[in-house]
Amino acid sequence: MAEQDFFHSIAQAVIDGDTDAATESVHAALDAGIDPLLVLNQGLMSGADEVGKLFEQGEFFLPELMLAGRALKAAMEVVKPVLLEKYSGADSQVKGKVVSATVQTDIHDIGKNIVSSMLTAAGFEVTDMGVDVPIKSIIDKAEEVGAQVISLSALLTTSMPFMKDLIDLLEARGLRKKYIVLVGGASVTEAWAKGIGADGTARNAADAVKLARKLMNS
Amino acid sequence: MLNYLEILDRANDGPYMTEENWDLEKVSMTAKRLVKKYKLAWNREEIVVDDGALIDAIWQAGYEMAVELGAYSRSTERIIQLSQDEIDSGIRNMPQSIVMGEGKDARTLYARRPGDERAPLFFGGTPGTPVPEDLFMLNVMSYMQEPLIDLATCGTLTEIDGRVVRTGNPIEIVSTRRELQYMRQALTRVGRPGMGMLAAQSSVSELGDLAAAQSKYLRSCDSHLVPLLNELKMDHRNISRAVNSLEYGMINASLPCVIVGGLGGGPVGSAIVNVASYLVANITCLADYHILHPIHVRHVATSTRDVLWVISATAQAFARNAPAIIVADIYPKSGAGTKELLYEVAANAIVNAVAGGHLEGVGAADGLKPNSTGLEGRLMAEVALASHRMKMSLKEANAWVLKLLPKYEHVFGLENGNPGQPINELYDAKSIQPKDEWLKIYEEVKTDLKEMGLNL
Repeated sequence: MAEQDFFHSIAQAVIDGDTDAATESVHAALDAGIDPLLVLNQGLMSGADEVGKLFEQGEFFLPELMLAGRALKAAMEVVKPVLLEKYSGADSQVKGKVVSATVQTDIHDIGKNIVSSMLTAAGFEVTDMGVDVPIKSIIDKAEEVGAQVISLSALLTTSMPFMKDLIDLLEARGLRKKYIVLVGGASVTEAWAKGIGADGTARNAADAVKLARKLMNS
Repeated sequence: MLNYLEILDRANDGPYMTEENWDLEKVSMTAKRLVKKYKLAWNREEIVVDDGALIDAIWQAGYEMAVELGAYSRSTERIIQLSQDEIDSGIRNMPQSIVMGEGKDARTLYARRPGDERAPLFFGGTPGTPVPEDLFMLNVMSYMQEPLIDLATCGTLTEIDGRVVRTGNPIEIVSTRRELQYMRQALTRVGRPGMGMLAAQSSVSELGDLAAAQSKYLRSCDSHLVPLLNELKMDHRNISRAVNSLEYGMINASLPCVIVGGLGGGPVGSAIVNVASYLVANITCLADYHILHPIHVRHVATSTRDVLWVISATAQAFARNAPAIIVADIYPKSGAGTKELLYEVAANAIVNAVAGGHLEGVGAADGLKPNSTGLEGRLMAEVALASHRMKMSLKEANAWVLKLLPKYEHVFGLENGNPGQPINELYDAKSIQPKDEWLKIYEEVKTDLKEMGLNL
């Protein structure tokens, strides 16, 4: 089997959201001696990129996106130790650690799930805390996992003030400079994000990934 | 009928499941399997479905989903299982008529069917849209004063006395009560004090809802929302809203905002989830009537082809198999002051009315800005009543929508949407009448609709 065939199988398993096939095809590629970095970039990430494109085009819906995220996460568990063994500092292959949550009092999760799935698909290590998460818990989790990015979601206008409260609490604890804080939701505008001192917002999940990548590299 | 406290027991004792597994392995997989089992598909050129067999298959699939899945308690991560007998009992107990409001302003909502001799009723207002306190009275009165509007609804107050309203914070109590005080004042000022309301829209958590359940604020002849979360989920907060209505007697409007392109997949799977949601909401939300408000996963609006299809399919599925009182929301992409808004409203009004719903709106500009006025509420009612007068068939309604779509569909590709202007720029605040510029746009669109053959 040629290298390209392995990559194709891995990418297709991610696109199909097939966790078993994704882990098996990654095992097969690694057993065949293929460089884990290539398995990651040309197999898993290639499939993830395709999933993101299909979602943006309206060909894929939320379940496909979530299943792909699940398959990718399982496959990453297989490839990560091999990467760590072969490359010192292989943690750097992970584009960044993100803590994602819908802020307290807001129970809407679809937008947050899409962004979390797309960030995962783009190679970020995402800790998704769910919905209605107290701001103190979000900060504590970011500290615990060593995140660089805090990604906040709120659909409700009357829950959006809690995003500002989180930023204020980071300031009060002397932690603000440690984190890139991204905010999102139907009513969140760039002007509002800037006004509360966030590092940015994005119109959709694809733009959120681009923004996270850009801010991580700046 | 199931004792509601039994729901609390099941939420505490039901089988454990993670939320992700509920979403993917229960909701998504079941929707996918049922779409395949019944060989269901949608046609983007047949938005108002005129195919009884297809509609009945969607009903059957939704029924199977409700019986198989039940609901999920997000608070306890447990499944609230419902038996087939309980789902059937919920169907048998769906009210066929409800009186809302009191005195001469009272109206009777009833379970409609396509081709119903009785005209639909109209809820006027911008449901759930954030509205600043200084625009609130102007906004709600602009709808309430319209003679064709039967029932009142409103937006959500986001600031009180200059203070930002935070959900779940004590200020939510103040904002919800303030909203109801304004609503009652506004109804009195327009001379319709007994008009029924779907209100307490400033109550995003259960806090405001509980605080407003007093005759001074939300009367027992009014209704409030009991949401079913996406998809087929409840939590203790929303269960509290239902529990609070048990003895007080408020009218419960279930609100499952099924996401088209979400966990149900495309339009067909989403219609199945919507049918299942109502059947579950009969029991978990103690629904007296149902709000029909599917949301587009990217565009939000109810005026996209696929969301209009889901509205048409869901309303017809109930009308043909188990008549229920359904109130279909209109949430267009565009905002007040734009022509496109009026065409979106016209298309939505025809679909909602002909498929067997009552109408509620308008949550203009995706319900994100206070850019809505009573004038588009007037057009909503005028167009729906015209379709009723014309005895518009499903096929004719579809032809109308296909003619209207090209007049607004481009807005879904606009990077910044088409938000229009706030009400204070389009209405005279003293006379509460539309300014000439906005009235002119309305007249132009109305003339165009007449020339197209609508009996306005």
